[in-house]
Amino acid sequence: MNYAHLHLLLNHIPVIGSIVGLGLFLISFFGKNQDLRRASYIIFAAVALFTIPAFLSGFGAQQMIKGPGVSDDLVRRHESSALLSIWFMMATGTLALIGLWQAQKTSHPSRWNVAAVLIFSLLTAGLMARTGNTGGDIRHPEDQTGKASSGDRIVTEGPVGAFLRNFEPDPDKFSDAMTFSKWWWTFMMAMHFIGLILIVGTVGLLDIRIMGFLKQLPVAPLHRLLPWGLAGLGINIATGLMAFAGRPDNYIFSIAFWLKMLALMLLGLNAVAFYLTDIFGEVESLKAGDDAPISAKLVAASSLILWFAVITLGRYIQPLTDTLLGTN
Amino acid sequence: MAVPEIFNTIEQSGISRWLRESQSIFGFYFILLFHTIGMSLVVGANAVVDLRILGVASDIPLQPLKRLFAIMWVGLGINVATGLLLLTAYPTKALTNPDFYVKLSFIGLAVYTMWRLNNEVFGDSSLSEAAMIAKGKVMARWSLIFWLGAVGAGRLLSETSRYFFYGHPAGG
Repeated sequence: MNYAHLHLLLNHIPVIGSIVGLGLFLISFFGKNQDLRRASYIIFAAVALFTIPAFLSGFGAQQMIKGPGVSDDLVRRHESSALLSIWFMMATGTLALIGLWQAQKTSHPSRWNVAAVLIFSLLTAGLMARTGNTGGDIRHPEDQTGKASSGDRIVTEGPVGAFLRNFEPDPDKFSDAMTFSKWWWTFMMAMHFIGLILIVGTVGLLDIRIMGFLKQLPVAPLHRLLPWGLAGLGINIATGLMAFAGRPDNYIFSIAFWLKMLALMLLGLNAVAFYLTDIFGEVESLKAGDDAPISAKLVAASSLILWFAVITLGRYIQPLTDTLLGTN
Repeated sequence: MAVPEIFNTIEQSGISRWLRESQSIFGFYFILLFHTIGMSLVVGANAVVDLRILGVASDIPLQPLKRLFAIMWVGLGINVATGLLLLTAYPTKALTNPDFYVKLSFIGLAVYTMWRLNNEVFGDSSLSEAAMIAKGKVMARWSLIFWLGAVGAGRLLSETSRYFFYGHPAGG
């Protein structure tokens, strides 16, 4: 297993996932089916989460395949398209979570939310297809030219590609923009801490209540703090991705960074175990003094442990920064 | 202004050197980790109480949130202990940096506000929820501002140091 393998393993998720999600969403849109809409929203949120490691592993793969036989221009074009499409994927995932939250109260997402998801999921599916295509060109140049090697291919664009290039950030300029000022970097890192505080304050509080501490608090109102925790998560994904794109070499060779990403993905699965089973319904009705079922306590405990792991591993990225150097 | 010689003495001590130079995973970054955990406990719990007082999730009963102050004080305790260790590791770096005093001032104000919230708003069980909110509103607002200031100033520390060690100016 190396970065190139990891990237190959993950990079089809955003492309196929955004199309599957869009398909379900469109059927629900025209068929006015709320269950299907909910399913499509869950897919968008899950795909957005797994797009993060797909994006990150691309930087590692890039380091690995450098050399003769691989066109630098094609790699950069792919990176540019990924740097654009990922933000649309994140926006679609965020909008889907907002819609799921709204649907919890009123049984369906608001009109503006459905309209926004429609626009963003369409754009995301298109941009992800473009990212997939530009990535495929790196390793499958024979598809277009019959040549086995892309090393000396000149990048040519169709009209759509040429149009999109206007919006795709140059990778070097993007990373320079993230790192040129120590004040901007410090601001991002401070925001990353504020996001962390919001997550710990809200999700952590809910977890310890479910585990049986602070039983005087009913669960349903505590759960209403969750948008603040999700806002914290959103801040941290945005600042995290920007910091990563600014200084990828600080992260891709650190074992702590990849384990942190693994813990984040496991938190996604944990959220699935919480919301897509009976557990959420059971704990939501808990009044002051009520005890949660053991299944809920286990999910809450694993959430706490995984967040602790995320913080710990985040702190150890720096001292372990070159643990993976030379292993690939 | 001359840097006091005592900073040098601390830096040369065994514990200070071990904290800086140990390759053990329980060295410097372990202390830093618990400084971060402590921060998330004290600020996270305090922020939730502040937000609730300011009207967020207003159906959470207010009085039981008093238990969160225990978490805040534990978090603060962790951070005083780990903070002193970090200071032992880099006394010159911290104490010659004006931002360090900015951070400490914000923490002082935030902790004072937390203490007042604990005593004046949550300490009087005869207060109705409306009375608690009326009394705590201004404190809650300032509490959030002070903690934001403390976290921001803390994050700025590494960018604003004037010395790395005794006799070793930053950027020199």
